Amino acid sequence: MKLNRSIFWIFPLLVLALPLVLNQYLQYVVNLILVYILVGVGFNIVVGNLGQLAFSNVAFFGIGAYASGILTTQLGMPWWLTVIPAGLCGALAGCAASIPALRGVRLFYLAIMTLAFGELMRWLYIRTPGLTGGSMGLTVPEPAVFGWMLTTEYHKFYVFLFIVVVVVIATSRLLESRIGRAFLAIKNDENAAAAMGIPTGQYFLLAFALSGFVVGIGGSMYAALVGHLSPEDFDLIQVILHFAIIMVGGLGSLIGSILGSILITATPEVIRHFEWLVGSEEWIFGVSIIVVILFLPRGLSSLLAKVNSIFKDRYYRN
Amino acid sequence: MALLTVTNATVQFGGLIAVNQVSFGAEPGKVRALIGPNGAGKTTLFKAIAGEEQLASGTIHFQDQAIHTLTPHEISARGIRRTFQTGGLFGELTALENVLTGLHTQIPSSFGGLLANTRSAKAVEKAATKKALKLLDLMGIAHVAEQWARDLSGGQKRMVEIVRALATDPPLLLLDEPAVGLAPPVRLELMNIIRRLVDEENIGVILIEHAIEFVMTVSDTIMVLNNGEVIAEGAPEEIRQNKDVLEAYLGR
Ligand SMILES: Nc1ncnc2c1ncn2[C@@H]1O[C@H](COP(=O)(O)OP(=O)(O)OP(=O)(O)O)[C@@H](O)[C@H]1O
Ligand SMILES: [Mg+2]
Repeated sequence: MKLNRSIFWIFPLLVLALPLVLNQYLQYVVNLILVYILVGVGFNIVVGNLGQLAFSNVAFFGIGAYASGILTTQLGMPWWLTVIPAGLCGALAGCAASIPALRGVRLFYLAIMTLAFGELMRWLYIRTPGLTGGSMGLTVPEPAVFGWMLTTEYHKFYVFLFIVVVVVIATSRLLESRIGRAFLAIKNDENAAAAMGIPTGQYFLLAFALSGFVVGIGGSMYAALVGHLSPEDFDLIQVILHFAIIMVGGLGSLIGSILGSILITATPEVIRHFEWLVGSEEWIFGVSIIVVILFLPRGLSSLLAKVNSIFKDRYYRN
Repeated sequence: MALLTVTNATVQFGGLIAVNQVSFGAEPGKVRALIGPNGAGKTTLFKAIAGEEQLASGTIHFQDQAIHTLTPHEISARGIRRTFQTGGLFGELTALENVLTGLHTQIPSSFGGLLANTRSAKAVEKAATKKALKLLDLMGIAHVAEQWARDLSGGQKRMVEIVRALATDPPLLLLDEPAVGLAPPVRLELMNIIRRLVDEENIGVILIEHAIEFVMTVSDTIMVLNNGEVIAEGAPEEIRQNKDVLEAYLGR
């Protein structure tokens, strides 16, 4: 099958028409997918591109979400003005999370330390009720953009889509450049990367900060989407979800992060949609992850690369 | 100006002295071979020069500046490039991207320029790609440019690694057993390439190699290491005659 590069434009354009065919609930699910696309894209930078077993992603997500929540409730800022600050808070958390790695912590040790970071943040959300509402959670006002309220899921969709497209394109440009090459070089062989003149420490910091920024923006969108944040939203189950997104999608693949978030986010919702399946969400979800990884160890992105080579050069490695 | 001067370099791993009071120099336009039995400390000496291992004592100067206090990427940026005894290539990158990584310090695109995908950022990347392809072509491996490095044959991997190390025209090249696993004709080719680089580009090469005929043919000076110590140094013919060397290394 011959595919033209224009597919990369036509597909997003078709997405624009989604609100015409979706009800509010399904639109909510699509919006949630958009949130998790940023979660996956950001997480993949550290795990798939830099090659580090760092699970601080949920911390970035929560920090981004609470940053937006706190800025809107405490300072009365309109939501859209909090998106970039939420990303910056995530980036700052990324810098903090890179400290163990910069000190030479790797593999399982890095995994447990970064998991601990996530749990520490959750403890912090509970223990600072003045800011976060504690375990009661934080109710986020309806998101506003340039004075307009995003009252329906359809409104949110267009704003989210715009943000996601901008962030994904920006990320893709960085990953396709000398910066992305440096990340992969570090993943493949840190010593050899340094021997190429790559300041590996700086690139660790950059990857974590970038990851935190992207995921932080995802968190900000999450706050706007659900309207209520509670510490349980950012627990260890979330870690598994984030991990599943990039594993199912494809490690180190931008398009994989997108496919993974679609599958992982939509599956439980779709199951819930069919009455006769209600109650089997968990095991269907678990089994589908196992099946995908079993038959597509390199994730859904590898399937796409097999379908057509046009996806290969740009979005697929391995 | 001396290219490289190693003075009384010592590297220790706990109680083990891997490199013991080693002194030598490297000059432009010359191949200095480093030979010795397994575990003699050859690779460790390379790592010390490249900044991957700390010196317990001694100094290393490159172009008259102390480098033994610098980090590996700083030393690399100064102009010392190396290949690795094993691995070394970035398997998930193509041959071309591997060479582009070698050019990393010469791709000055700014972060903002990359984000905005500016004309200058694109131009810089394009120029680097052109240069990398030309270098691959010079070594006769342009046809593998788009292949994943991990799918290349042993010989192709070696060549890509050498191209990558040479991409920035470094004044000093450290080659750690480049001929291992190469078929005789490829070995010969590699030998010619090294000689051409040294004679025509005037770069300095330090070569670790077990293939003794290879070393004898290509080197100007040979230094023999045993248990971390220099036991002999001289022209290939002298080394061939040296009694200690025959005992320690050639096993005759
Ligand atoms: N990181 C390390 N920690 C402890 N000991 C080490 C380390 N690296 C090397 N050694 C030891 O130092 C000695 C020298 O090793 P080195 O790799 O330099 O030898 P070599 O001359 O390159 O040998 P070969 O020809 O087998 O490559 C060996 O005894 C080795 O076991
Ligand atoms: Mg060695």
